[in-house]
Amino acid sequence: MKISFFSKMAWRNIKSNRKLYIPYSISSVLSVALFQMMASLMTNDFVRQRSSTLPTLFGMGTVVIGLFSVIFIFYVNSFLMKRRKKEIGLYSVLGLEKRHVAHILVIENIMVSGLSILAGILVGVLFGRLSFLFLNYLLNLPNAVGYSTSWGMTGVTALLFIGIFTLTLLYNIAQVTFSNPIRLLKGGKEGEKEPKSSPILFVIGVLSLGAGYYISLTIDNPISAISQFFIAVLLVIIGTYLLFTTGSIVILKALKRNKAFYYRPGPFISISGMLYRMKQHAVGLANISILSVMVIIAVSTTITLYAGTEETLNNRFPEENNLSIMTDDEMNSRELKSAIQTVQGDLNELSSDEGYTMTDQYFFRYVTLWGEMEGQTLAFKDFQGVSEIPLMVLIMPVDDYNRLAEDPVTLRGDELLYYAPDPDLERESLTLFDKAFDLKQINNMPGVMNGMSQLIDPILLVTPDDSTLDTIRAQYNSELAEYPVTLSADFFWSLESSQNSMAYASFIHEELRENDYPIGLFYESRDGNREEWYSTNGGFLFIGIFLGGLFTIGAVLITYYKQISEGYEDRERIQIMQKVGLDKETTRQATHSQILWMFTLPILTAALHTAFAYPIVQKLLLLFGITSNTLFLLTTIGVVMGYSLIYWIIYRITSKLYLNIVE
Amino acid sequence: MTFIDVKHLKKVYTSKLGSKGTEALKDVNFSVEKGEFISVMGESGSGKTTLLNILSTLDSATEGEVYLDDQPLSSIKDKKVSRFRREQLGFIFQDFNLLDNFTLKDNILLPLVLSRKAVDEMETALQPLVERLGIAHLLNNYPYEVSGGQKQRAAVARALITQPKVILADEPTGALDSKSSQNLMEILSDVHQNGQTIVMVTHSARAASYSSRVLFIRDGQVYHELYRGDKEPDAFIDSISKSLLVSSKGRV
Ligand SMILES: Nc1ncnc2c1ncn2[C@@H]1O[C@H](COP(=O)(O)OP(=O)(O)O)[C@@H](O)[C@H]1O
Ligand SMILES: [Mg+2]
Repeated sequence: MKISFFSKMAWRNIKSNRKLYIPYSISSVLSVALFQMMASLMTNDFVRQRSSTLPTLFGMGTVVIGLFSVIFIFYVNSFLMKRRKKEIGLYSVLGLEKRHVAHILVIENIMVSGLSILAGILVGVLFGRLSFLFLNYLLNLPNAVGYSTSWGMTGVTALLFIGIFTLTLLYNIAQVTFSNPIRLLKGGKEGEKEPKSSPILFVIGVLSLGAGYYISLTIDNPISAISQFFIAVLLVIIGTYLLFTTGSIVILKALKRNKAFYYRPGPFISISGMLYRMKQHAVGLANISILSVMVIIAVSTTITLYAGTEETLNNRFPEENNLSIMTDDEMNSRELKSAIQTVQGDLNELSSDEGYTMTDQYFFRYVTLWGEMEGQTLAFKDFQGVSEIPLMVLIMPVDDYNRLAEDPVTLRGDELLYYAPDPDLERESLTLFDKAFDLKQINNMPGVMNGMSQLIDPILLVTPDDSTLDTIRAQYNSELAEYPVTLSADFFWSLESSQNSMAYASFIHEELRENDYPIGLFYESRDGNREEWYSTNGGFLFIGIFLGGLFTIGAVLITYYKQISEGYEDRERIQIMQKVGLDKETTRQATHSQILWMFTLPILTAALHTAFAYPIVQKLLLLFGITSNTLFLLTTIGVVMGYSLIYWIIYRITSKLYLNIVE
Repeated sequence: MTFIDVKHLKKVYTSKLGSKGTEALKDVNFSVEKGEFISVMGESGSGKTTLLNILSTLDSATEGEVYLDDQPLSSIKDKKVSRFRREQLGFIFQDFNLLDNFTLKDNILLPLVLSRKAVDEMETALQPLVERLGIAHLLNNYPYEVSGGQKQRAAVARALITQPKVILADEPTGALDSKSSQNLMEILSDVHQNGQTIVMVTHSARAASYSSRVLFIRDGQVYHELYRGDKEPDAFIDSISKSLLVSSKGRV
């Protein structure tokens, strides 16, 4: 009986507060749906199988979206409660006990949040499937990307949001319990004091943002980029929130102190309007900025990956046919050379028997060592279990170098050709295993070796003859006996352009499957890899656009909620001012300038964040084989502009909603 | 010289459902001389607020017209209405209508800001006014931090600061204790001495006694008026009270 009384009461409250509850429910439902879709991606087959870094990245993404949901739901809830305080205060005055009021709040919360979670999951499942269908159709990839709803993750979604809604409920009950009815009756007005600016938080914000930017700017290798990326992202998010919440207040107060500026109709209306609800306002703006950065980065990186597939292939496979050659400890470079030449002769014979003509044939032998530069000495040691990243040293004989390079060189017996990846490592002479060499500098690695130097910039040493290479290797192996290094080689060739490379590739595969050469052979063809790469990178593009879509919806959601809620708050103020003589035109001007600020601020912030994220994201792209800077740069600029356009359209529509409410 | 001329004013509030609607004003006729101080009295729901809203262009009449200096109010173009409100009128609202996000000072300055006055001009206008109203020490407080009487005085200051030709006041003493009421009426009286025209709605015979003429309104019509002439205040209060009594008897 009592329960049903409270339920009826709760249901009636929800109905009579329709105007508040509709945007609230839409926002909750979409938050749930967004999180559900994002979390489902973590267990998506494509994401799990294609790359080891993807699940990690998506894990981070899900955590970020989770944090986001908490902030957003609290933001939405605070607005709702502010508008309802008066009504709740009235209950107390009319004699309802606080625990009864709490009772009603609990039932309301169960109704609204229960429905929101259910509806959100439904929307998530349906929308996830539909958007995958649509994207597969749109991108027309060689292999469609499959979608599966993860029920485990759906459970996590439900639990998370039950948690969030319970927290807001506790917060609301605490507010009702700890304030007196008179305060409540005065409604939200009590809390609308001019916010205090906190210099400490401001400084923490600056430091946090600066640290995030610094990490991105100073990262120098892609391997550490992965772990550092998440830290940088968190620092930037924290910095953004703090700077928006404290910085905006500092700036607005400074503007307000400038009397000649402040006491004019436009600034007078908009500054006071922004200032008095800046705390909420700022959180909304920070949310939008961060979501915007996520959209821009997700979309621009995956477009770059997809558009750069050909470049990746060319880096990995300098010629159409690529044979990687491995040896054992015993083999020296002269023996390796003759083994390669035997293989080369056999391949030419086999090919021409089948009617193929091998062209552009060349090979190079090399050894990879790990060392450390100590002054003029290149020292080698065991780096197992050491946290510093050692210097990668590629060594090859001069004959092989001359086959790769455009300008052939000759070297004296005590001379090495030397390439240093960064100016700190440039030297005049160098000592290896107590033998001093004079160095002859070159400024670039041979282009063929691009694929080897993507992740870590190696130094390159070219020895005057084969025996010097063998001596260095022998000395390295005798000093670090535990991990002997062996010689390797790569052998490349192409076909005459008219010939079918795919058929040829499977023929060579077959021929090399069983052989009795003294060296290990691993054959790959560029065309054979193309499809694989396009489907992987296409999948990334797919996921990128999907995420971009999710985050855009998030940004739209916040913008929508912000405009609606602020519309209701401003409505009364504007009406009073119109009674005192504010004309429609000035109203428009003031609200437009306010709206314009609110539009440009997040976009500018997003662009700034993107600019500072650029170096670290570029390093991450290296992991996926993208070395071209211009492609990523142009894509990013394009995506920023495209996104600004979309956001502008959204803003136009939502600010119409706002103006409709206000006028 | 006739300053405000109200002719055959009628106001019907129509509800959306197309029912007959409420006739708040039936046929109101009166005129106000320049510099007059007029009180409007009548029972709750008799149309006083409606009348003031039409005088102040916040609402428009269903029929009839209000002339200000022989110019019909309804002929003022939409764009100029705001300016007219800002520069010619000072409105003291029944429920103050102060903005919570402005300090009292900014609330008071609002009309001047909207008229794009220079800052020092605003300050010069502000100081003597708030001192006379006794809220000089509260200028940096927000409306929810001060009492009802103090809010009302801030609302009065906002209405007076532009030195408008006409001041319209809707039950300005409604929320005040008798001492604050008396204080406020003295200020309005001062303003009247200055030559400004005042139209005030009130329930209080004492407040009405400060004015030079009292209009009694019932069933949407002016049915009686009283001139103060050179009556003593107490005598004037007496005759106002009598008229009110008659009016309520007349109803029964
Ligand atoms: N906005 C409105 N819509 C419909 N009816 C109204 C509106 N405002 C006032 N009324 C009606 O008009 C009549 C006069 O109201 P009002 O002018 O406020 O009276 P007073 O101020 O004398 O108490 C009342 O019957 C009231 O119910
Ligand atoms: Mg009234």
